[in-house]
Amino acid sequence: MEFRGFAAFLVVVAWSGSAAFAQSGAPTARPDLSGYWELRFDSFNVPRAPLTTAAQGALEMRRAKDQEAIRGCVNVGMPAVMDDRGVLDIRQSPAVIGMVARSPSSTRYIYTDGRKHPDAEELEGTTNGHSIGRWQGDTLVVDTVGFNERGITAIPGGGYRTSRAHLTESYKLAASGDQLTVTFTWTDATVFRTPHSYTFRYYKVGVMPEPRVLNCIQNDADRARFLTERPAPARF
Amino acid sequence: MTIRAIAASVMASLLLTAPATYAQEKKGTGAVPEMSGLWLVQDPGSGSWTDWFDNVPKPKLQPDIIADNQRMAASEAAGNVVNRAPRTAACPIGNLPMMMASSPPINIVASRDEVLMGAESNRGRFIYTDGRPHRNVKDPSYVPTGFGDSIGHWEGDTLVVDTIGFAPRVCDSRRPVMLVPGGGRAKDTTHLVERYRLVNPDELSVTFTWEDSTVFLAPHTYSYTYKRLPEGIPIENNEEPATAQPDRQYTTTKSEK
Repeated sequence: MEFRGFAAFLVVVAWSGSAAFAQSGAPTARPDLSGYWELRFDSFNVPRAPLTTAAQGALEMRRAKDQEAIRGCVNVGMPAVMDDRGVLDIRQSPAVIGMVARSPSSTRYIYTDGRKHPDAEELEGTTNGHSIGRWQGDTLVVDTVGFNERGITAIPGGGYRTSRAHLTESYKLAASGDQLTVTFTWTDATVFRTPHSYTFRYYKVGVMPEPRVLNCIQNDADRARFLTERPAPARF
Repeated sequence: MTIRAIAASVMASLLLTAPATYAQEKKGTGAVPEMSGLWLVQDPGSGSWTDWFDNVPKPKLQPDIIADNQRMAASEAAGNVVNRAPRTAACPIGNLPMMMASSPPINIVASRDEVLMGAESNRGRFIYTDGRPHRNVKDPSYVPTGFGDSIGHWEGDTLVVDTIGFAPRVCDSRRPVMLVPGGGRAKDTTHLVERYRLVNPDELSVTFTWEDSTVFLAPHTYSYTYKRLPEGIPIENNEEPATAQPDRQYTTTKSEK
């Protein structure tokens, strides 16, 4: 091999290396969703969910279960993590996206490195489930399975999260970078007659208010009373 | 070396280093190592949590810390093995030295402006890398935690993290103080510097240096090695809430010996 040929070879090697790297997750052309995001009064487009008869009958029991989870400071999980009334912190690296809500919750991880979901027998259910994402142009499509039924299970529009649920999300950053639109679609034949979709629009905030963490106290008697006792009617 | 050998060497070098290297843009400058992933601390075989936790170079401790360690050891030898501090709204969350030493893997998401570092469940650390200074940890509005207030910056290939603002006491660990490996303390007067460096794509070295003149006679330094778990699945603590098991903590002494 002559020197010129060798140099050309090196260029090809270098090019193929960088191309492979880009495919493996370099942030080049992808939107960066990192930032602090909040929901506002006009953030919700939530139609009524097409519930099965069985799900309609289970709503009161599920509501009570959710209330007990709130009282017990159980990790709220999905979809409550995405519906948090505090600021949502989203951090994006090439291979994984992390999301932290203010309410008691585990960090939500969305893997974008091309991995698949683990086999069902290896996947222990969690409140957030197991999420993998892929970019379709400038839209991040996230697929989540592997839920359990702990935490707050209520789904906006009606219904509730079960271990059989399958969630698909699409994340689209506005061109201005200050709005993030997320469409959620839940599929679970035991809860929904047809897939249930709704959309949230998040607004970017510049500074994270402190403190970042809600210190949830399970054995606070006053808090427990507030959450569990029926409100007394107002007297005039 | 022949041309072919040189080419093979270059190719091997590119293939080996590319995945390990540089994915996130350092603010305003070049790229930095990609540390995101699930990392498991490497215990060289200490045999128990206590042995592992103390398997670091011995710190030079203040006499009152040594005395406090002896008092706690005597109390535990007498069967008082559970911290009895009541859990209130004033109880801080988190325990940085324990989190970084514990067997559940730590889950790092390193974005440009902030590094998330999650533990098994619930909360983790936030390390701000956007150039902001520390919060005023002496201001009454500051809420101290066991994770403190962390800011980071890159020095070449090393992420240097500076942490202050720890809570003076903790409520929900076995002891009412936040222990530092080797027998020290992390508290409101403590300053921690960590240095994170990828040794190779699957090995992360973290060097901890603790400074607190009320605890240590000299800075206390030790290092941990973490191995990447490329296909690891984040786990979640599924313990029932305390309302369902009110005697789990804070009340039992000898019965849990």
